[in-house]
Amino acid sequence: MVTMTENVEILQIKNLNLWYGETQALKNINMTFIDRQVTALIGPSGCGKSTLLRCLNRMNDIVNECRVDGTIDFNGKDILHNNTDPVEIRRKIGMVFQKPNPFPKTIFENVAYGPRVHGINERKELERIVEESLKHAALWDEVKDRLSESAMGLSGGQQQRLCIARTLAVEPEVILMDEPCSALDPIATSKIENLIDVLKQDYCVIIVTHNMQQASRVSDSTAFMYLGDLIEFAPTRQIFENPKQELTENYITGRFG
Amino acid sequence: MTEKFFDEINDLKSDVITFSWFAEQMLKNSIEALINLDKNLAKDVKKRKKELVQTSYQIEEKIFSIIALYQPVARDMRTVVCSLGVVNAAERIGTYGKDIANIVRDFPERPHIENLVSIPHMADLVIDIIGDTINSYELEDISLLAKLSERDDVVDSLKRSIFRECITYMMEDPRNIAICTHYVMIGRYLERSADHACRVAEKVHYMVTGERVEIK
Ligand SMILES: Nc1ncnc2c1ncn2[C@@H]1O[C@H](COP(=O)(O)OP(=O)(O)O)[C@@H](O)[C@H]1O
Ligand SMILES: [Mg+2]
Repeated sequence: MVTMTENVEILQIKNLNLWYGETQALKNINMTFIDRQVTALIGPSGCGKSTLLRCLNRMNDIVNECRVDGTIDFNGKDILHNNTDPVEIRRKIGMVFQKPNPFPKTIFENVAYGPRVHGINERKELERIVEESLKHAALWDEVKDRLSESAMGLSGGQQQRLCIARTLAVEPEVILMDEPCSALDPIATSKIENLIDVLKQDYCVIIVTHNMQQASRVSDSTAFMYLGDLIEFAPTRQIFENPKQELTENYITGRFG
Repeated sequence: MTEKFFDEINDLKSDVITFSWFAEQMLKNSIEALINLDKNLAKDVKKRKKELVQTSYQIEEKIFSIIALYQPVARDMRTVVCSLGVVNAAERIGTYGKDIANIVRDFPERPHIENLVSIPHMADLVIDIIGDTINSYELEDISLLAKLSERDDVVDSLKRSIFRECITYMMEDPRNIAICTHYVMIGRYLERSADHACRVAEKVHYMVTGERVEIK
């Protein structure tokens, strides 16, 4: 019998080091991410959270002067290997950014964009994908009557959920979110948090947040990073009840610097 | 967290410590009143019950507002949770002091029987246990709690031996019944007080180490 709670290791980072020019931004990171769980990355600004997230879908490729070393195992493939197709990786491992960044197109076209790029052109099929993705992103009811209106007319929170729908439309396995709520008000934030809770039934979610309470509310595991090092990575409850590292304790209790 | 939060936590701790010694004093004075059959002291202990309840209520309020306003985590969270446990236990212990003071007030106008059996000795042990747990909370030092389980076992067996001894005296002479019944009750109150101190010790252990332990 297959049990639902079985922990599937979906991503494995091994000995990951990263430099921007001369400065090392990630120092020998080793981490395993579990499917259908939410992992939060926390740590002070500049500690390397976004850099780490970007490694997971090869977004650092576009950064000049960026040198990476180590492996990230994903379905038996090394994400970082030269022969791995970054476009394919970005489809399987989607990213949602801090500022909602819809395209200046209709709501429909925003969601249909990815599937089109991947060769789906049949109208019926696109409509199905758009509806499903918007439903999954908890936005369908709010926009179903205005799919042909511009996405720019949506509120910030709706735009962010649209971006999530856009990510879901290409059937990813992992969803990366870099401070997805920091530009949103508390109500929009709690909608995204509820959504994360639903998404984790089907996806591996990795979220960078500088809101400690958000990390404790939404995640199963929490990783604390500091100056490019992974200091502590443990079940979220343990991090917030009884962290093992003094640095972690000082950071989450606000006794820093 | 802000400086203000650290000040609040420090204030809370010192309030809890003061309150705990206040409760300990109630129990200690009630036993002194018993030993000397000092009805004035008993009356005084009884009077402190109101302050005991009010203060515990105030400290609880403070704890609730710290949780609501700051949502502490990690050691701060454990300190707040532990403080709530200490306050509740201290309130119970102070109330046992009041209960013993009530007994002294109604005590028959007769001398004690058999030097109060083992009650003074038992009371000393219990007061020491309470003092060590308060100190361990204040100093965040669990080494003071090392032998607590064994010390609590001694208290338990003293309670049982007081009971057995009192039964004997009651059978020997029915005129002992009133006083011996009081002794048995007091033995029980003392034993319960030590139990509350042990629960506090568990919470101090959690505050300091983050691990839950059971003290026997
Ligand atoms: N494109 C870049 N070029 C050079 N340095 C960068 C670049 N992006 C980030 N860095 C540096 O790498 C470190 C980690 O940055 P980042 O991953 O953005 O941290 P975080 O997301 O935790 O705030 C910082 O010192 C930052 O200045
Ligand atoms: Mg960042």
